[in-house]
Amino acid sequence: MTGKFVSVLRGLIFIVVALALCGVIFQFAGYSALGMFRSVIEGAFFRPGAWEQSLRWALPLFITAAGVGISFRAGYFNIGAQGQFYLGAISAAFVAEWLNGAPAFVVIPACFAAGMTGGALWALWPGLLRLQSGTDEVITTLMGNFLAGLLLVYVTAGPLKDPSGSGQQASSRPLAASYRISDSLGLSPTIIVIAALVAVAMWLLVNRTAFGVLASLAGRNPTMVQWQGATVWRLGLSSFLISGALAGLAGTIEFMGPNGRLAGGFLPTHGFTAILIALVANLSVVGTAFVSLFFGGLASAALYLPIMAGLPSSAIEIINAAIALFITAKSGFVDRLLAFGRRSA
Amino acid sequence: MNDVIVAILRSGTPLIYVTMAGVVAQRAGIWNLGLEGLMIIGACATIVGIVLTGSFALAMLIAIVLCVLASVLLWFVIEKLRANPIIAGLGLTGLGLGGTSLAVQAIFGSQAAVTAPFGVPRLGPAFGPFGVLSVFVLAMPLVVFAMWVLLRRTRFGLRLAASGEHPFAARSVGANPSRMRLLALIIGGVLCAIGGAELAAGSLQIYAQNMTAGRGFMAFAAVIFGAAHPIGSAFAALFFSVVAAVGIRAQLLFGDAVPHDLLLALPYMATVFGVWLSGKLRGGHKAATGFAELRDY
Repeated sequence: MTGKFVSVLRGLIFIVVALALCGVIFQFAGYSALGMFRSVIEGAFFRPGAWEQSLRWALPLFITAAGVGISFRAGYFNIGAQGQFYLGAISAAFVAEWLNGAPAFVVIPACFAAGMTGGALWALWPGLLRLQSGTDEVITTLMGNFLAGLLLVYVTAGPLKDPSGSGQQASSRPLAASYRISDSLGLSPTIIVIAALVAVAMWLLVNRTAFGVLASLAGRNPTMVQWQGATVWRLGLSSFLISGALAGLAGTIEFMGPNGRLAGGFLPTHGFTAILIALVANLSVVGTAFVSLFFGGLASAALYLPIMAGLPSSAIEIINAAIALFITAKSGFVDRLLAFGRRSA
Repeated sequence: MNDVIVAILRSGTPLIYVTMAGVVAQRAGIWNLGLEGLMIIGACATIVGIVLTGSFALAMLIAIVLCVLASVLLWFVIEKLRANPIIAGLGLTGLGLGGTSLAVQAIFGSQAAVTAPFGVPRLGPAFGPFGVLSVFVLAMPLVVFAMWVLLRRTRFGLRLAASGEHPFAARSVGANPSRMRLLALIIGGVLCAIGGAELAAGSLQIYAQNMTAGRGFMAFAAVIFGAAHPIGSAFAALFFSVVAAVGIRAQLLFGDAVPHDLLLALPYMATVFGVWLSGKLRGGHKAATGFAELRDY
């Protein structure tokens, strides 16, 4: 109990430190830090419709972060959620294009299957390279993000190009209304149910199956798990595949829900935010759900800031980055404070 | 042929400077994924500095000071707060990318690209077709050589490597690993400022949002590919630039026959290949990322 309390307290303290750093940066750039934070909070939770918007961003972020958490638990630093997310959306878009005209109950499941497969395959090659020849997965997944971004630009300007689209930004043909799983607001019962299913499945997987327990142990001490008779590479590869499939699922939702089409540059920092969420939540599934709400609020505020005169949306990027800078910090200060409390009690 | 060499030197030089920064950090035991952020800070500060002060030397000084400050922040978070270097580095990169956008917005009122009236001093007509290159290109081989001497042939370099590989041994001869890492990151900050300046002001004199486009990460990959040896890593960085130049060449030659985006993807693919090869050559051995400690505090 105390351990959990300490880690939550530590997380909160460093989020405050990160926000203070952001405040200094904003003041230097000539913005009022207090005004900035007020409009962020207002944009996230208090303007009309803010909660719906926050939840709309929180759900795909949660699905992606739950996947990232699995690979982190197994000790693999899969930072390619962004690329896997793109590949999910691209695969779903291809299937939607091929099956165009078929009834919705065929197309929608097929798109989901394709999206999850696409994401999983984009996680498979870094996983295989890592397990086969020790290729550092940090770099391969990172490069995978850039490659997937280029692939997205390529398919929206090439094979999937909407010929009737304007020259401004290449995008695919809009998805037929009957295949959409939400309107452009992006919140629908279907998406909520999918997110809930993911939450339950991941919680069971992590806490109630041999795979979840062994994968977490493998992340801490692979040698020991090997001596226990588990196949470490199978655990590792599965964790890569699960995290890729979930990121692909989030991409599919983003494509079939709020966006309704593929566009050249959509959701630029989604994967990175998911990594933060998983780390802030200390890789726990329940924690991830709560932390996603907070970061979903930030994402929703990012769209609100430019509307408020003179506040660039890069402010949210800075807040996210500052949190990343501090979030894994393990200050002895908090621990000493608590130790002191125990001694005097 | 000359223009190909000029193109490779132009695109390779910023990458090599930043790679040297990664090499020093790597030797000291820090996986520096903040290189991308430091590079964009250097690029932005140089161009904005030239526009505001009208002096190249002052602009360079501003860029170096900012990059060193950011590096010290990274050191503080990693060493004093014991944060995970990979996540902290990615955070620094995000701060650099977001912070430069914010700075440009705050100073010029829009996020459009900024053009400077002049850039890094050029070599001049005495060098024939290479006269268009900046002086940083000429200095680059000297810097790589100096890094080799510093890291492989001096007491400082040996202590740095000891701090990275076996901090206990370093401490036993009186070196303070934490302070050695601080020095490594400060040297890296200066090199990243030069790399960023060369990128933005070496040939084009323009700063655009996110103009580094993953070069910092490529530099990091070059460090891994070159086994953190200054000369090997410099050649790895050069290899990535050659691949990029070949891509641009192919685009000019084949026109629409090959998809444009596929050619843009070549350097990233080369990076993956390079890291795979270096992993393969070293028999699947992987350096400790410090990630295990994240779970076991």
